[in-house]
Amino acid sequence: MIFLIQLLNGLQLAALLFLLSVGLSVVFGLMRFINLAHGTLFMFGAYLGVTCAAAFDSFWAAFFLAPLLVAAGGAALYGILLRHIRRKSPMQQVLVTFGLIFIGFDVVRMVWGRFPYSIAEPAVFAGSVQIFGQVYPAYRLFLIALGIAVMAALYFGLEKTRVGAMVRAGVDNRRMAAALGINVERVFFFVFCLGCGLAGLAGVAAAPVFPVFPGMDMSILILALIVVVVGGPGSLKGAVFGSLLVGVADTFGQVVFPEFAAATIYALMAAVLMVRPAGLFPAATVH
Amino acid sequence: MTRAPEARDPLAMVLAAAAAIAWLFTGDFGKEVLSEVAVFAIFAMSLNLLVGCAGLVSLGHAAFFAIGAYAAAAFGVFVNLPLWTAMPLAVAVTAVAAAVAGFFAVRLSGVFFIMMTLAIGQMVYAFFLNSRAFNADDGMAGIGRVDFSFLGLDSGEPAVFCAFAVVAAVAVFFLLRMVARSPFGHTLAALRQNEPRLRSLGCPVLRCKLAAFTLAGALAGFAGALAAQHSGFISPDLAFWTVSGEVLVMVIIGGMGSLSGAALGAALVILLRHHLAGLTEYWVFYMGVLFVLMVLFAEDGVAGRFSWLLRKLHRRGKNV
Repeated sequence: MIFLIQLLNGLQLAALLFLLSVGLSVVFGLMRFINLAHGTLFMFGAYLGVTCAAAFDSFWAAFFLAPLLVAAGGAALYGILLRHIRRKSPMQQVLVTFGLIFIGFDVVRMVWGRFPYSIAEPAVFAGSVQIFGQVYPAYRLFLIALGIAVMAALYFGLEKTRVGAMVRAGVDNRRMAAALGINVERVFFFVFCLGCGLAGLAGVAAAPVFPVFPGMDMSILILALIVVVVGGPGSLKGAVFGSLLVGVADTFGQVVFPEFAAATIYALMAAVLMVRPAGLFPAATVH
Repeated sequence: MTRAPEARDPLAMVLAAAAAIAWLFTGDFGKEVLSEVAVFAIFAMSLNLLVGCAGLVSLGHAAFFAIGAYAAAAFGVFVNLPLWTAMPLAVAVTAVAAAVAGFFAVRLSGVFFIMMTLAIGQMVYAFFLNSRAFNADDGMAGIGRVDFSFLGLDSGEPAVFCAFAVVAAVAVFFLLRMVARSPFGHTLAALRQNEPRLRSLGCPVLRCKLAAFTLAGALAGFAGALAAQHSGFISPDLAFWTVSGEVLVMVIIGGMGSLSGAALGAALVILLRHHLAGLTEYWVFYMGVLFVLMVLFAEDGVAGRFSWLLRKLHRRGKNV
């Protein structure tokens, strides 16, 4: 039954990757803009969660406050910096956010120091549960449930609401959407802040399971980027299937081919891109 | 954006003069730093061929740097070949590796190309990290240096190895300048400016990209082979994404598309790192700020600002 445990571990990683990659993916679909500092926001979510959890002595305070703080930070980042580089070439936008990774890495070291932190899991999910005779930590099941809940909420938001229709229209054809009177800029700002908030949520949710340390941003960012590329940018479906594929492949890769553990997902990505150069479920034609 | 190749490159001459002065007047530590600058200048210039000329942004260029370093070390340590033979072999191995990787990468464009190169870099990193043959994460030590005893010189001396590295960097500079001015170089520039048009003109776009990727990879391998000799030690960290990021920072700070700019960027980043690391623990922060400011306000990098300054001085000289 080791298989079941590994599958659950894979699903748990997939849930985190989904929270991270959906923001990246939809923002890319809307604006052809890849925010490489997305992993940094994830790291800030985790660190702010550590601080909030210590200040209020409660996991749930951190769980709700940290994503809001990260979303506010994302809004500020957008207002101060990103809004002004919108006219520049996509490459320059990518490079500016690449520079932000360097800055974020050291800001974290300045404020929180270089030693790893962790948040205690909430009392409700502190124990473990029995699944088919196997013991599994309850908090990890909560992570999987969180991923499913966010996916359902986003699906409803994107498919059934007016704002969601605007987002989909913007991804499909930005100029046409703008010509029809949709303020694509505002939709973009909204999606960007939501994506930042979800990255923060992923960070604080990951903090009880993964160590919180400077540099945690890059390992997860690369996985999230692979999810976006494998799934196909711009679509919810792509983010869902990409996360599942990468999360499960990475987890099983470490068990089955420990020698090539780190290479499994890259090989997966190379294979997918060879067959489908625009990812599995691309939302918009990418030039 | 087109930068017509100038007949003379004042920046390159300033750099060469600065290198000569540094070689003459600094102590052993200064010469070690200068060797490092020369090695990274070769590395940055090779990436400039991809980023600056062909417009292909690679986030995995360190893969070939590491392959070159490991190949040189392996031929030297395992097969016991002299480095004069091991180095060309290492460059050849890297060229083959770059051609294989490029075969997959150049089919993709834009952000997908960037992601593929990132993946290639991390795959190579993972390979060296896990391969027992290359001592996994312990790396390899005891790599010698090229033998200059036929000239009566000892390459263990910082001055000798430093001079060798600088001469190598100058040679690579001329080689890449020749490439940039050749019809092939002009094709790459056209590729950067308007790929669909070039394709419709009947240019074998993929083959050109692959050739550029292979050449850039081979030169990065040469830089890696030099780096292995310079430090005498190699580890999988050479292939890590931060190395690819750092060399990209060098190209951007120097000024994309300018060869001497890439060399200048390498010098600036390495000197900054040595100085800031002594002044503050948080030098990465300052480098990040500098990088963002350069991208925002000086798209053409330090090299672009330098030629702007020269033009301005020239004009003022005329008016007086």
